[in-house]
Amino acid sequence: MSRTIPEPEGGAPAVATRGLTKRYGRETALAGVDLRVPEGAVYALVGANGAGKSTTFKVLMNLERPDAGRAEVLGLDTASHGPRVRAQVGYVPEHPTPAYGWMTCGRLLRHVAAYYPAWEPAYAERLGHALGLEPHRKVSTLSKGQARRLQLVLALAHRPALLLLDEPTDGLDPVVRNRTLALLAEHLADSPTTLVVSTHHLHELESLADHVGVLSAGRLVAQLPRHELQRTVRRYRVEVPERWAAPPELQAGALRRAGTGRELQWTLVGEEHEVVARLSGTGARVREVTALGLEDAALAFLSEEVSR
Amino acid sequence: MSAPTSAPALHATPAAGAVLREQVSAVGLALRVPALGALALLLLATALTLRHRLDTGEPLDFRPELTLLPGLAGLLLPLAVWKGEPRFGPAFFWTLPVERRQHALTKVFAGWLWLMAAVALFLLWMLGLTLLTGGNVLGEVTLRLVDSTRDVPGVGAVAETLRTVQWKPRPVLWLVSFTSSSALYLFGSAMALGLRHPLRWVAGFVFGFVLTITLAQLLRVNWFFDEFAPVLAPLLFGSYGLDALLSVRTESLSGEVRLPGGEVVNAWWGLPDVGDWALATLLWTGAALALLWAAASRHREQRRR
Repeated sequence: MSRTIPEPEGGAPAVATRGLTKRYGRETALAGVDLRVPEGAVYALVGANGAGKSTTFKVLMNLERPDAGRAEVLGLDTASHGPRVRAQVGYVPEHPTPAYGWMTCGRLLRHVAAYYPAWEPAYAERLGHALGLEPHRKVSTLSKGQARRLQLVLALAHRPALLLLDEPTDGLDPVVRNRTLALLAEHLADSPTTLVVSTHHLHELESLADHVGVLSAGRLVAQLPRHELQRTVRRYRVEVPERWAAPPELQAGALRRAGTGRELQWTLVGEEHEVVARLSGTGARVREVTALGLEDAALAFLSEEVSR
Repeated sequence: MSAPTSAPALHATPAAGAVLREQVSAVGLALRVPALGALALLLLATALTLRHRLDTGEPLDFRPELTLLPGLAGLLLPLAVWKGEPRFGPAFFWTLPVERRQHALTKVFAGWLWLMAAVALFLLWMLGLTLLTGGNVLGEVTLRLVDSTRDVPGVGAVAETLRTVQWKPRPVLWLVSFTSSSALYLFGSAMALGLRHPLRWVAGFVFGFVLTITLAQLLRVNWFFDEFAPVLAPLLFGSYGLDALLSVRTESLSGEVRLPGGEVVNAWWGLPDVGDWALATLLWTGAALALLWAAASRHREQRRR
């Protein structure tokens, strides 16, 4: 099942892929992914390890060549305009090991600044200060969390139109994580930026994300605005008659089923009144309908307990 | 929440000059440790030379074409230039907004500029040492030249007559250190850029070569040497061979010569030819450049299949 984002109003999306497919040997990392990220959105890309999140970012940066399909960033074809695309992007890669361990943090910032004419040294300094970076410290001596913070400063300081953050809070302690997310929110408020962020911890982005995409085994199984996700994915506690069997049309919208006997809990996609009507039509009695949090709603698409 | 949605103007990519300046600076920083090591060696060599001069009174002649050190430095320098920089996979270097092949070549060029500066300093050091010890700076030297040879059964070619000649190296030979180190630097850079594990390839090649030669000797496979040597010799010691590039053939043209009486003396089989050196430099540098281009092309932008 896949729900897609409607065409954004007023121009091209910030990120658009069509049929993006990438294989590593026999393993399929991406299978026909059609990503659409509206300009100005905060798009959370969720999925298990190996679902294809990092590969998607690498293709968008033109670091990996897709086997099929195409990708566009801010209207630029990534395969034809790699350098121009990268000039618009602030990228935090999956691995929190910045290059050039022999440089100091300050020297690495100056090094990267030379590549971005739009780099704002004062802003970089402010970010570094806010995240507790020590300019004279050697990069090789940074902890995982400190390295992550350095990568964030490198990604933000040229105020890119698109931020691609691959697990940006990975390795950060709770205090720094909160400070980082607050800084990110401040950045988004100040700068016209589209943010695509991959994460295992969607609850961290509860206050930021307005669009969600769910990748599962290389397939984009859901992609929709947050309000629609939370409006259409609900948990239904139902009481069913003896020897009740779920009809196929109900199973098609089912993400998760729990419970045994006559009392069942279904996580279903659809307008609530329609779902309730469908359930009632099968003889089931709806006892309770629960709205789900952002994380639960998104993770429901990854459940393996779906009734088939 | 959503960020402000006013469409941002696209950011520009960096100017080529800005990237080069930054690469020169960053590579210079990366070369600090090897440079300090080289400086220590030069100081040691200075002390030893002066000590030798005091002990023996022999001056040091300035003969830049005789030293293979710049060539060796050129060959090894890419290891330092690319140290800590993963060349394969989605590495940091490739995430920067520069066309990837152009970016790699810019870094190679930055390293080459430092190499040229280092070679110039090395030559100045040699010149200074020559002047300090009262040596000969590209002045005339007296050589014994083999005039004619004849084959002696069981011995091989012996020098029938020797003549003494005065040879004055042309000032253009000052360039040999620059050109030889450049060609080998380009070759080393091609290895570093084109191979995931260049040191393993070099070690494997040397091991394979030694193993093959040893086995051929053990098994007395004469045809192997008969076929192999004639192919390899011009490549190494021919008019346009590697030796012409590195030392204007001063290595292969000079050496021990057997006289008909059995006496062995140092002599020259011929005089270094500047024209041959120029052509050899052109050929070897061209080949290294072609290799470098092919290696850098492994990293070019990912185009659609």
